[in-house]
Amino acid sequence: MDYFLIIDFVQSLLDGLLFGTTYALIGIGFTLIFGVMRKLNLAYGAAALAGTYIGVAATFAFDAPPPVVFLLSALGSGAIGIVVYYCCFRFTPTHYPMASLLASVGMLLFIDEVVIHASHGMPLPYPSVFREATIELGDIWVRGDLLFVFFICVVAMAVLFWLLYRTPLGLATRAVSQQPRAAALCGIDPTRVNLLTFGLAGILGGIAGAMTAAAVGVLSPIIAMGLTVKGLIAVVIGGLGSIPGAIIGGLLVGAAENVFLMLRGVTERDIYVMLLLFLFLTLRPGGLFGSTAGRD
Amino acid sequence: MKLKALVAAGLVGASSLALATAAAAQDKTIRIVGFGASSGVVGIFGQNSTAAMSAAFEKINAEGGVTLADGSQARIVTEYYDDRCNAEEGISVLRRIASTDALVAIGPTCSNVAEPLFGIMQARVDDESDTGLQFPVFTDVAIKGGLAGISDWVFRNTPSEAAMYDELFGWLRETHPDATTIFGGVEEDFAHSRASWYDVMKTAADKHGFELVGEAQWLLSDTNFSNQVRGMRRAEPDIVAISAHPFTTCGVLREMARQRVEPEVLVGLTSSSSLETLSGCATEAEGLTIPTSFAPVNDEARAAAEAVVAEGGQMDLHSASAWENAMILKDVIEQVGVEGTAESLEEDRRKIRDGLAAMESAPGLLGTNQRMPDGEAVKPYVFVHARDGGWEVLHNPGS
Repeated sequence: MDYFLIIDFVQSLLDGLLFGTTYALIGIGFTLIFGVMRKLNLAYGAAALAGTYIGVAATFAFDAPPPVVFLLSALGSGAIGIVVYYCCFRFTPTHYPMASLLASVGMLLFIDEVVIHASHGMPLPYPSVFREATIELGDIWVRGDLLFVFFICVVAMAVLFWLLYRTPLGLATRAVSQQPRAAALCGIDPTRVNLLTFGLAGILGGIAGAMTAAAVGVLSPIIAMGLTVKGLIAVVIGGLGSIPGAIIGGLLVGAAENVFLMLRGVTERDIYVMLLLFLFLTLRPGGLFGSTAGRD
Repeated sequence: MKLKALVAAGLVGASSLALATAAAAQDKTIRIVGFGASSGVVGIFGQNSTAAMSAAFEKINAEGGVTLADGSQARIVTEYYDDRCNAEEGISVLRRIASTDALVAIGPTCSNVAEPLFGIMQARVDDESDTGLQFPVFTDVAIKGGLAGISDWVFRNTPSEAAMYDELFGWLRETHPDATTIFGGVEEDFAHSRASWYDVMKTAADKHGFELVGEAQWLLSDTNFSNQVRGMRRAEPDIVAISAHPFTTCGVLREMARQRVEPEVLVGLTSSSSLETLSGCATEAEGLTIPTSFAPVNDEARAAAEAVVAEGGQMDLHSASAWENAMILKDVIEQVGVEGTAESLEEDRRKIRDGLAAMESAPGLLGTNQRMPDGEAVKPYVFVHARDGGWEVLHNPGS
């Protein structure tokens, strides 16, 4: 086998896995909301991007350093997530799932257009860290900024796991996710849990948006649709409602897209990723870790 | 006494009549509309065109408006229709425009809208078997080559990329005699980017003796370019040509810096010679060389650029065309004797079409634009390169 082919394969796999952590974060956001409310929030990717623009605005307003920009991006996205909850989910009838789904589609388009109007669609520089740093392992190059992205995403996931499995908030969230009626009878307020879940998922989305923009070094409204689609594919492959599934799904999508790009070129890359999605939907509709059991 | 009263009454009557006539003349309007993408991810192009058209018509109106066939003056009024760079919306928008009292339309923004849109228009004028739309369109932005030939009702004032890149690679041959190889990167899912690389840049590079050592493709919304740039690094080209719009151009340039790909010459797409590229990645774009049909190199161009900025836009090669189109249409309206009444609308539109078809040259901001028999234009251009966060003229082939 050609030496360069092996090197390219390993390099593509590595880059894809590192970049896939951003898809995993978006996937976790989708899955958190679905887990708690059994509803899809399609405005999630757009909200994540809008939050990232809030971070950029801080750069222009007071020349904020990168950590502050990242933090503001995450918090901004969390705040927008709460707005999305109130506009699209809080007051829509629960027995018409299509109402909230379509409301979130409308919100996606609305947020997207607001961002485009505010930024005039112009690509804006986004701060990166370790942009020039590269670890060279022979012919394999590991990008310092992607390692940073990977590290931040792993930390965000660890914090999320701590929140879900080691705090009363997490207990309440899991209770609402598994038995909302029983949770309510135990005194847990589902509305408050839903609100916090949207805020938390928004923060994760903001981190994903910030890390995507940091990896490219440029922020553009074009990113929103890609984040939404890749995040959805990740959760379908991983299993809607499963956090480990979203992580594995995200990494798998990132790796698959980069390897198919290398093997088949950019024009066929997405065909194979979509084929992967199709295979999962037909052969394993619950995804890798999806639960087949319903809830009360 | 009676005589004095009669004279006074006569004078009052005559004055009233004159005032009424003047008021009527001032009320006369000619409607020229723009259309294209003013929202969506390429909305900045439409917004700049809107600003350029508004600034140009404001200047024309301030100087007295346009003279109609009966010698009266009319103001030009305008508005901009958004097609979101979507072919279906573009077709719907033009049909709507044609159903109003608009005399002529300036647009669209995107080549992928222009191509199908021009297809619904009457292909050959006076062909009674062809029921296609009969409405003059004067394109400012959609730049993919050869589109005006689709219909006799279409005219374009976009620069000829084939001529510009041919001249650019010829000039690079002379100024960089050691450079022999080229690597091309193309945004594969955008009509203009694809056409500009495969039909224009690649051909011009080959014609001037540059050996193609590789190509890389990516999509408009891609965020990871490591595979593509790795191929570029291995090929070690002397010239790298990037046929892509600012977002991915910046992404690729950053990845090139990361992988330490440092070609002798960096060539970019015409549409990237804008503020967008500089606002996204001024440092990495340093040295990027692009041919463009607009640069503020003379008083008229500088004044036009300032007027567009005052309207909230930016002057680049695309919005400069919108400005020029407005000025050219004023001349055509006056030359062909547009009547400007509701009854004469169809006839006036035909006069505009015939007037544009008969033009052999037209004044432009950088000099005289040649009008071609197929409705296309050949415009003067310069080569600019990114330097210290701005675009600086590197070479003027016309000088």
